[in-house]
Formats: sequence, C-alpha cells, structure tokens
Amino acid sequence: MVRDEIPPGTLHLLILKTLARRGELHGYEIARTIQQNSEDVLQVEEGSLYPALQRMLVKGWLNAHWGATPENRRARYYRLTAAGRKQLEIELSQFRRVVGAITRVIQTA
Amino acid sequence: MKLLSELARRLRMLFARDKFHRDLDEEMRLHLELRERELREAGLSPEAAHTAARKNFGNALALREASHDSWGWVWLEHFAQDLRFALRMLRKSPGFTAVAVLTLALGIGANTAIFSLVDCLVVRPLPIDHPAQMAFLISSWNGSGSNTAFSYPDFQEIRKQTANIFSDLSAFRMFQMDGLTVDGRSEPMWSSYVTGNFFGQMGIKPMLGRFILPSEGSAPGADPVLVLSYSYWKSRFNADPNIIGQRASINGHPITIVGVAPAGFHGPTSLMDMQGYMPLGMAVTLNDAPPNLFTTREDTNLALIARLRPDVSLQKAQPALNVVAQRLSQQHHGRMTLSALHLGPAGLAVNPTNPGALSLVSTIFLILPASVLVLACMNLANLFLVRAATRQREMAMRAALGATRSRLIRQLLTESLLLAALGCAAGIILGVAASSTFSSIPLHTSLPIILDFHFDWRVFAYALVAAVLTGVLVGIVPALRAARSDVNEILHEGGRTSTSGRQRLRSALVMAQVGGALMLLIVAGLFVRSLEKMQHTDLGFDPNHVLNLSIDPHESGYGETQAREFQKTLLDRARSLPGIESASLAASVPMGYNDSGASLEIDGYQPPKGQKNPAAGYNAVSSEYFETMRIPLLRGRDIRDSDNQNSQHVAIINQAMADRYWRGGDPMGRHFSTVDDPKHPMEVIGIAKNSYENDIFEQNEPFFFVPLAQNYNSYATLQVRTAAAPEAMAREVTGLIHSLEPAMPVFDVQTMTTALDTLNGFLLYKFAAALAASLGILGLILAVVGVYGVISYAAAQRTHEIGIRLALGAQPMQILKMIFRQGFVIVGAGVLAGILGAAAMARLVGNLLFGVPPGDLLTYVSTTALLAVVALLACYIPARRAMRVDPMVALRYE
Repeated sequence: MVRDEIPPGTLHLLILKTLARRGELHGYEIARTIQQNSEDVLQVEEGSLYPALQRMLVKGWLNAHWGATPENRRARYYRLTAAGRKQLEIELSQFRRVVGAITRVIQTA
Repeated sequence: MKLLSELARRLRMLFARDKFHRDLDEEMRLHLELRERELREAGLSPEAAHTAARKNFGNALALREASHDSWGWVWLEHFAQDLRFALRMLRKSPGFTAVAVLTLALGIGANTAIFSLVDCLVVRPLPIDHPAQMAFLISSWNGSGSNTAFSYPDFQEIRKQTANIFSDLSAFRMFQMDGLTVDGRSEPMWSSYVTGNFFGQMGIKPMLGRFILPSEGSAPGADPVLVLSYSYWKSRFNADPNIIGQRASINGHPITIVGVAPAGFHGPTSLMDMQGYMPLGMAVTLNDAPPNLFTTREDTNLALIARLRPDVSLQKAQPALNVVAQRLSQQHHGRMTLSALHLGPAGLAVNPTNPGALSLVSTIFLILPASVLVLACMNLANLFLVRAATRQREMAMRAALGATRSRLIRQLLTESLLLAALGCAAGIILGVAASSTFSSIPLHTSLPIILDFHFDWRVFAYALVAAVLTGVLVGIVPALRAARSDVNEILHEGGRTSTSGRQRLRSALVMAQVGGALMLLIVAGLFVRSLEKMQHTDLGFDPNHVLNLSIDPHESGYGETQAREFQKTLLDRARSLPGIESASLAASVPMGYNDSGASLEIDGYQPPKGQKNPAAGYNAVSSEYFETMRIPLLRGRDIRDSDNQNSQHVAIINQAMADRYWRGGDPMGRHFSTVDDPKHPMEVIGIAKNSYENDIFEQNEPFFFVPLAQNYNSYATLQVRTAAAPEAMAREVTGLIHSLEPAMPVFDVQTMTTALDTLNGFLLYKFAAALAASLGILGLILAVVGVYGVISYAAAQRTHEIGIRLALGAQPMQILKMIFRQGFVIVGAGVLAGILGAAAMARLVGNLLFGVPPGDLLTYVSTTALLAVVALLACYIPARRAMRVDPMVALRYE
C-alpha cells in the first residue's frame, strides 16, 4: 500500500503528540502508532525518525532510557519532558494556525 | 539556562561517543526485527520480509550519520580528522616539513624578537595603577623649544589651579648620582627626589617598609629617608629583609632606609631604573639643588607628573591647561604654553617636540622583519603550490568520493595552519633567544638604562597572529586551486596536466623573493659600510691605550676644598705610577653622557641679525689632557697647574670656534665669557685641532676647554695613557684611588675605545648593522631556497621532455643550458626588481646613514654579485641533475 510522506516540519509534532498520548514508547512503536493512528495514511521513514528523535533528545524535549519490551528485548524508551510538553503546545498552535490559513485560501467561494 | 543544559547534554554525548553508536545500532537492530516480524505476519515469506524490511529501513549508514550529526559535534570531529591526516602527511615528507617549519621559525622568530623591543619601548604600559591616566607636562617659553622642566613655585601654582582636571600632580627631580654608604662601603646610586604625593599618585604598594609620606619633603633637609628600588635592593643588598631601618649616609649625610619599591617599578619611565627615591627637601641637603629650591623660579629642574581624573581625557584637559598657562604668563611677564602628553613606557625620555617619533621609528623597525616574514611566506606558498600540484589526483579522488569543496579547502588549510603552529612554537623559542641577546648588549655606561625585552602576553599574541595569518595566506591559494580542479580531467589525464599557469605564478613569486632579498641585503650593506666609515673616521683624538675611571668625591662627603685637594693628589700619584705615560682629569669624555654647553659673549663679535647668540660646547680638563688624548695643539700652550682659581681665567678653543667667531682675525689673547658667568672672562691661550667631543653626529662644532681648577666639577673622569694594554692597569689605578680614600666609589672603568660604544657613539650603528645584516642573510637564504625549489620542480616536470630530447640526439650540455636558462631569467628579473626597489628604499634610510651615499656603488655591486652567484649556483645543481638523466628512465617517467 502506498502511503503518503509525512509533510516536512510536522514529524516533531507527530512524535510529541504520540508520546503525550501514550506515555512511553520505543522507536518502532512510535512509528507504528503514527501509522495506525493516521489510519495507514502516513508512513514514517526510519531514516527521518531516528535523527528526529536524536534532535529532540539534544533539545531536551524527550528523555530516553533503556528498558525491556514485552518479549524481554532491550529497547530504548522515549518519553516527553516538561519542555517537550511546552513544545507540543507551541507546535500544535502553530500547525492549527497554518492549516487554518491554508484552508481559508483553498476555500474559494 | 536552556542553552546551558543543552550544551551539557551535547558535551556528555561527546565523551560517550562509542556508547552512543552502540546504543543506536542496537535500537536500529530491534526496529529492523520488529519490522520484519510485522511483514511476515502480513503474509510475506521470511526472505521477502527480510529484504523488504531492510529496504524500508533505508541506508543504515546514512541514518547513523544523520543521527550522529544532530548532536552538532561534526565540525570538531572533522577538525580532528583533518588534523590527524595533516600530521600523517607532514610526517611522510620530512624534508618539506623541516624546510617549512624552519622557514617559518626564522620569520616568526625575527618578528617576535623585534616586537618585544617595540613592546618594551612603546607599547607596554607602566606597572602602576591605571597607567592610561598618567601624563607629564610640557611647557615652552616665548615660543622657544619645549621642555619638561619646571620650578617648585610654578609646580605649586599649577597644582592648585588644575585640581579639577588632575586628581593629583607630583614633582620629580631628574635623577642625580649620589654615593650611598652602607657599613662603610660606598657605591653610586642613581637617585631621584620626589614630592610627598608621588608614590600615592602611582597607586602602588611597597614591597617592604613604607614609601615617602605626603607630609615629607616640603622643607630643605627635612625627613632624611630613602626608598630603594627593587632591583637595587636585590643587586646591592642581596634582598636583605633587614634593610628597613638601616642607617646609611648619602654623600656623607645620614639617612635612613625606610622602604623598598615593588619589583618591576622603575620610576616614571621604564627605560631608566631609578635606584633610590628621597623626599624633595633632601636635594638641598645633598647639594643636588640650590638652597632656595622651594622658593626660586630660577631653578627649573622638576618634571611634573599628573594623573588625569577618570572622566578627563588629554584633549579635555588642554583648555584648562591653556588657562593656567595664561595666568602664569601674566605673572612671569612672558608667553608660556602648557600641554600634557601621555606617560608611556618611554615616559619622560620622549622628545616633547616630536612625541610620535619613537612610535614611527618602531613601526619602521617592525616593517623590516615583517618583510622577511613575507619572503618566508612566499617561499612556503611556492612549496605548497608544488605540493598541491602533486596531490591533484588525490584531491580529485576525494571530490569524486563525495567530499565537498569546503571540506577539501578546510583540510588543506588545516595542513598549512598546523605547519604555521609548529613554526610559531619554534619561532617563539628563537625569538626568546634573540631577545635575551638584545637584553645583554652592554651599553657601556653607568646610567641605569634597562632594556627589559622579556616576553609578555602581547608578544605571544603577536606571534600567534603572525602565525595564523601566515598559515591562512600560505594555504589559501593552493587550497582554492585544488578544490576548483576538474575531477574528470585530472583522473583521466594521468597527472600530467598543464601547469603553465601555476609555473608562471611560482616563477613570479620567486622573482619577488629574489628582489626582496636583494633589497634587504643592500640596506644591510649600506648600514655595515656606515658603521665601518664611522669607526674609521678621524676622531681628532687617539682612543687607544687610554683607560677611563670616573669618580665623584662629593659622594664620599667631600666638600669643595677637600675634593680639589683629592683631585690634585690623585693626578700627582697617578702620573708617578710605572706604565703610565700621562694622566689627566676631565669633566666629560667623548661620546659620554655628560656634556656641557654655554651661550657666549665674545669680545669683538656681534652675531649677524637674526642669528642666535654664539654658543659652544665645553669641557673642563686638567693639565696633560691634550697629551693623554693626543689632541694636537695647533697654536699656543696647554693648561698648566698654575692656571688656578686665583689666576686669569683661560680657555683653549678648537679650530671650528676660531674660524666661526674670529674669522680673519687672530683669536690668541682675545677674550670671551659665558652668559652664566660674565664676571670671569677667559683669555684664549691656545687653539686645538677639531675633535669629536660630544657625539658621533656632530661635525666641526665650536668647542672649548677650560681648566678644571677654574671650573670646579666634583664629578670627573681620570684618564690615563698606558704603555701596555689599558685593561691591565685598571686594578692598579683603582687600588691607587682606594689607597687615598677607601670608601670612594669608582665607576665606568673602561678603556676609551670601549667607551666609544655608547648611545652617543657607535652602539646604535653597531646594533643596526648587526640587525640588518642578519635579516639580509635570512632573506638571502630564503630566496636561494626558493629558487632551488622552483627550478628543481620545473626540471622534474620536464623529465619526460628531456628524455625525448636526449633520445633524439640532444647533447647533455644543451639540456643543462636549457634548464639553466630558465633559472637565469628568474634570477635576472628578480635582481633587476631588487635593485630598483632598493634604490627607492635607500632614499628613506638615507638620513640614517653615515658617510655613505644611498646609491653607494660598492654596496650595490657586491651584494648583487653575492646574491647572483649563490642563486645561480642554486639553479646549476638541478640543471646538472637534469642533464644526467637516463633517457630510458625519463621516457617512462610519468
């Protein structure tokens, strides 16, 4: 099934929101959650997921720790920090603003 | 705060890089497995799932790099890589590295050494509190020359009236030499007399004891206290901590030592080391000042030092000073101007009429070694260009593998900067060595001049900047060229790309080098010849076999009568010593630092309108002076012992004075007197041949000699002409002096020949000649190495062609001539450029030369010949090598 790419600049938003909703996930789970919640429309490229996760770690929006999956495999779990929550709000409002504007433009009478 | 925690995170990552990679790998492995499982559950076969998962995953390596790069340490890692690679490349070509580092070391070393000189004289601030606020006052009277000397009443007036611009004004009496006797031993001490507020104004703390208090020194003879300088305390008293409270005597008067100044403080200038400080009132007691010092306007010997208020600049202060000058002008019935100059390290030694001169000379001094460094850079640039050419294939390969232009440029720059860093380190070592050589040049004087050329942070900064600039300049052109090259073309061509453009650039560089080196050599040659001419001038006296010893009975507490007796006895005893041909006393010696001059009133001579009053320099001497110095007496007689206080005052004039003031007439028996002492007109009893009495630059100035007995001077130099070597008699004569007075300090014991090497004599020229010559030789070496490099490379490039020629029947001699001709053209053009450049520059230095015209043919011809021969030799060697090439080898050479 051909899935659409994630629009540039929204990956952070999606990851933040996913973690806000689900608490603690590892990389693969984040990718799959986004895919599922988008009803299979959005496909996260691993090539962009992990660099994005690293960037967010640098900026302090996420914390990571090593834990175990249900099958007892070692995996790195990510969770939001307080700064991350704030960033989520910022990105959400920004996104809504932009989408609203685009919608207005497209909606020619 | 956010940035700090972010930085902390980044740093943590930097130190745990391996763990980071392993973690990421593990994460990605898990992700891959889970993805594969998902695909299998979706129905794909295990192998298909495996491949699909991997395909989706994308380029693992790129992923890893992208993740890694998010942490922002990329530049550091690249730099480390570049550095490691640069080190390896340098190690692979040790010859190149050695030449490059040596070249740079010489260039940077020369620059830092000379900058340390300039730093000491012009740049370094005084080691006191807020040195930028310090200034000294200059006045001028009725439009005649500026001077820095004031009287005490004027000092008080000015101090009162400038309270709003100066936070304080202190007075400092120019140094006098006194004798400090401690525990029976007398030694000279350069002392200065200061007002009580001097040390407070400086804002420094004493190393031991206390300073002179503001309440001290305002009355003659009050407060007999002495503050020693740190260096004097160390050298004479071995840093004895019990020196405080020690009783001593100066010139026979009791005094107490109360403190020691901090290390590094030398008084208001950094160039002279004040050895002792006393309250101003003591100057009167010690006969260094008239009794009415505090009240008379006539005695102007105080330097005034001001500390500007924090919000006042020199320009802002000027209007206030003008007002003060006006008021003083009215009081003194004259026209006075006042101004202030910043008190830099050269301090009061700066010429007030031309304060910028020292900075200007220093700048010129810096340009010389800077040009040597530029030459060195040209050499290096050439070497780098050659190397870049040989590494074309490597660069092309890198570009093909994905290196960006900026990365290539960065890497090449790193190499050149690394070389520059190595050269800088070596250069600093050389510079320090050169500096300490400068510092240990003997100045042949008892004047406490200190040349402290130690390296401070400014000098290191200068070296660093020079190195960075060099590294960038040298590396940038080859780097840009290498990065720009066409990858395709290079990889296919097999390395034999056309290099005609580069060859031209290299040749041009070497031509410039040869020209520059020749210029330096010519300047050096001119200075050396100046020195030679100077040393062979007819001085008018014979300095050989003369020994000088200076004494001042005043310092042992002798009064005038006692001192005169002492001088008489000393002469008698000295003349009777075996091995002494003649002995005399003189108030000043040629090229020395004591000279006297006077304005004259001459019987029967009226100065033409508009010209100044007659003036001449003079020396007070005893009998036998002319015999000891071997100055011929053209007419009349020598000074006799019978010319004393009670007989007619007499003088012996020199030929120049006779010619100038008694033109056409006969000066013998005529009279003249000095403006200061009109009551004792002098009769001319003899005419002496012209001699250099003051400094090496005077030419036939009027000069006269008066008897020491009629012009009492307590300080005098005993001069003895010896049969054998003068140094051998030093012990004996000093012993004689001490047998007459054990506690008499004897100083400046040196032969007359050595005494000529002073700042007024040959010293400066010796120094300049040595410096210019070393720089010239440096330039020569650099140029020759450059020529050799370029011709070598050109010949190597043409090896293939040479092989063909030889195979086709060319004679080896023809090959030799062919290569040699290339070199000849380069050297010839360079020499031509150098001669033209030197002719232009010689005009600039013309004023500094002595007896040698700027276009001196001998210098030009000999230096050109030297350079040409050596440079052509450098061409000959590679040419010979080319000629010996085996055609078979050459043809296969790629």
